[in-house]
Amino acid sequence: MTFRRFAFNNVVRNKRLYAAYFLSSLFTVMVFFTFAIFAFHPVLAGSEMNKAVQRGMNISAGIIYVFSFFFILYSMSSFLNTRKKEFGSLMILGMSVRQIRLMVFLENMVIGFFATAGGILLGLIFSKGILLIGENVLVMDGALNFYIPIQAILVTFVSFMLLFFFISLFVSYVLRSRKLIDLIKGNKKSKGEPKANLFLTVLAVLLIGIGYAAAFIVKGTLVIVAMLPVIVVVILGTYLLFTQLSVYLIRRLKKNDNIFWRKTNMILLSDLSFRMKDNARTFFMVAIVSTVAFSAIGTLFGFQTFLTAGLKNNNPYTFSYTAVKQNEQDVAVINETIREEKMKANHEQTTLRYYEIGQDSIVISRESDFNRFAKLLGEDPIDIQNGQVKVVEFTGNQFGQTDELLEQSIKLNTGVTLRPKEVISSRALPATDSYYVVSDQDFEELPASKREESYHAWQVTDGKENIVEASKKIAEMVSPGEFYAKDYSIYQLNKQYGLVLFVGLFIGIVFFVSAGSFLYFRLYADLEEDKQKFRSIAKIGLTEKELKKVLTRQTAILFFTPILVALIHGAVALTSLSHLFFYDLTKVSIAVLGVFLLIQIVYFAIVRFFYTKQVRSVL
Amino acid sequence: MLEVKQVSKIYEGKIAYKALDHINLSIEEGEFVGIMGPSGSGKTTLLNMIATIDEPTTGVILINGENPHLLKKEELAKFRRRELGFVFQDFNLLHTLTVEENIVLPLTLDGKKVQEMKQKAQEIAEKLGITPIMNKRTVEISGGQAQRAAVARAMIHVPKMLLADEPTGNLDSKSSKDVMEMLESINKNERTTMLLVTHDPQAASYCNRVIFIRDGRFYSEIHRGDNRQAFFQKIIDTLSLLGGDGHDLSQIRV
Repeated sequence: MTFRRFAFNNVVRNKRLYAAYFLSSLFTVMVFFTFAIFAFHPVLAGSEMNKAVQRGMNISAGIIYVFSFFFILYSMSSFLNTRKKEFGSLMILGMSVRQIRLMVFLENMVIGFFATAGGILLGLIFSKGILLIGENVLVMDGALNFYIPIQAILVTFVSFMLLFFFISLFVSYVLRSRKLIDLIKGNKKSKGEPKANLFLTVLAVLLIGIGYAAAFIVKGTLVIVAMLPVIVVVILGTYLLFTQLSVYLIRRLKKNDNIFWRKTNMILLSDLSFRMKDNARTFFMVAIVSTVAFSAIGTLFGFQTFLTAGLKNNNPYTFSYTAVKQNEQDVAVINETIREEKMKANHEQTTLRYYEIGQDSIVISRESDFNRFAKLLGEDPIDIQNGQVKVVEFTGNQFGQTDELLEQSIKLNTGVTLRPKEVISSRALPATDSYYVVSDQDFEELPASKREESYHAWQVTDGKENIVEASKKIAEMVSPGEFYAKDYSIYQLNKQYGLVLFVGLFIGIVFFVSAGSFLYFRLYADLEEDKQKFRSIAKIGLTEKELKKVLTRQTAILFFTPILVALIHGAVALTSLSHLFFYDLTKVSIAVLGVFLLIQIVYFAIVRFFYTKQVRSVL
Repeated sequence: MLEVKQVSKIYEGKIAYKALDHINLSIEEGEFVGIMGPSGSGKTTLLNMIATIDEPTTGVILINGENPHLLKKEELAKFRRRELGFVFQDFNLLHTLTVEENIVLPLTLDGKKVQEMKQKAQEIAEKLGITPIMNKRTVEISGGQAQRAAVARAMIHVPKMLLADEPTGNLDSKSSKDVMEMLESINKNERTTMLLVTHDPQAASYCNRVIFIRDGRFYSEIHRGDNRQAFFQKIIDTLSLLGGDGHDLSQIRV
């Protein structure tokens, strides 16, 4: 048996021990590779718009790579920690430190190679699935088809072999300074109970409090200014929250005999406090990474709903045509196309007259014109007496000058002055600013208008499925800027935005699932210790119910503490974001955060099942 | 108190192995019985079956006239922590808990009141002379202290029977003596039935009666008279007859 053979056998014949580390590496490679497939996708390499997307993808790939590096490094070091005793035995048998480093290096390269190869293979299968979902969920018109990504395979393979090479070097360097006695006692040596500093505990609460308060108070563009300091403060606060506040709370709980000595609490809490040092670091990472995922996805979805909602609100009609000089042919084309596409539509038209009022030119409309459009939209008609004038504000539009209009007055040719008293909200006529509506009789007495615009609106009642197709046809024939089709704009928005959304979604999921793996890894690092402990307690007499209870709570604390913090962070971040847009993101936030919570619950249930099974198997 | 009838244990595997072969054993209430034998003779297997940690392949074990192996798993766990007390070679203390917390653990699991637990822990600690170390962590105390803490944990719920598996196996001779004297006094004062598995003739000499088994079969049994020294000599003699030379030389390693 040569030394290389020994290192190889050590891995191959000890699969279980290496499985957790191998799987998390494999998983990381797979995530990166799936991502690379999109980054190098031929469709994305094409047009101008997509170039920007691809640039974004490349930056994201870089982030994922750095993240993978730390993830694998972390997995590796916790994996080596569980093997201290083995290294101790080998050193007693006369293995030199150099040889151990070589062994770890070789092992790591073997694992790295198989993880990379396996990850690429799995990634190929996975990406096919993701693409299918992408096509169906987002409007992408089958733009992203599956291909054999030679470039992606090469890049992934080379970059991960490099990554494993450097991690192997790095880790074997870390092993250097350990004393033999520490290695042999490695597993038995108590890590000691972490202590909390009261000052830092208070600071944790303060920092998070200040960060949250700032996020809630700040509105508008100030949000962008406040963003960086708030993020820094909250991250710092979160770190202290897990390293100090949690330790402090657990110690308080432990000191209370009525709680600590109650049934299985003793087993649960004592372990928790001892593992808090390790847990705190994991919790912190998971919480931050998940917050990033929540916020990124929340922002993307929020922005999309914000844009579409704006479009929908501002353009209540299926088609509209606005022109200073009306081209009869254009209107005919629109009507013709509607007929061709077997649609039925109600059509209204009017001339919008602009008058000089104050310093702006404002539309003054006739009661009957307004009511025709209101009817087309399904809104209630209004009734205006002679000598009366109403200000109409476009529903949902905050930028109209309603207040200004209320202070102005209209002089008629008859010498009568109309003063507005009432404001109504409507979407009947197109929105730029608020406008006046007067009675038909008064309308005739208005002075000459400053300029006029012809306005047509169509509301399709039948054959709605053809709208997008028809819009495309019309847009090709009618002079640009005059014709507007709501559904076609939304369709185009989704199409452009679909890719961005897809990429964002994907990164978010990658981050989130990685966070889950962190937790999984943390849990399994303690598996051996737990097995031993529960075997001891079972001899004294621990029922299965009690065992399950302890394990469930232990796993639940591990899985939900950081996610809960991340959910709260995410909710605050999204609230702050809605302050930036002046748009209510509550629904989107709840949907995004809810979905993540659901995934986490499923994840928890699976992990708990297997962990309990593992522990029970040794009883 | 304890009745072991025709108990056999066969470990299935590629080669089936008979660890115990029709063992019979009967222990009266308040007795202090030792089980000795070479490595692989089946002593620990026997103890584990009495402790309900393991199940016999054939035969019946009755504790106080009832067969605990017929109980459901949940009830069995409760039976163990209410009726039996255990002392192990490696102490089996949880290192995340203090000595006091380790001692009250069986009561805690049963949901007793804190006040009651504190009081009981105090009493037993005084009796066993471990009051000064009650708030120490298990890594901070010596082996002898750890084993006394383990005995305290085994005794806190006043079990009907105390089972000890090599309680002196990890201790030096002075600590061994302390622990054995403590067990003897508990046996005398509390009338707790005790069953001890050991290699150590010195430890075995504290028993009322020592049973020898070999290759899973009953070999012989000797009783202690008034003189512990003479009893010790008899144990040594029997062990050398058994095949050892007074110490435990293994014949089979499993």
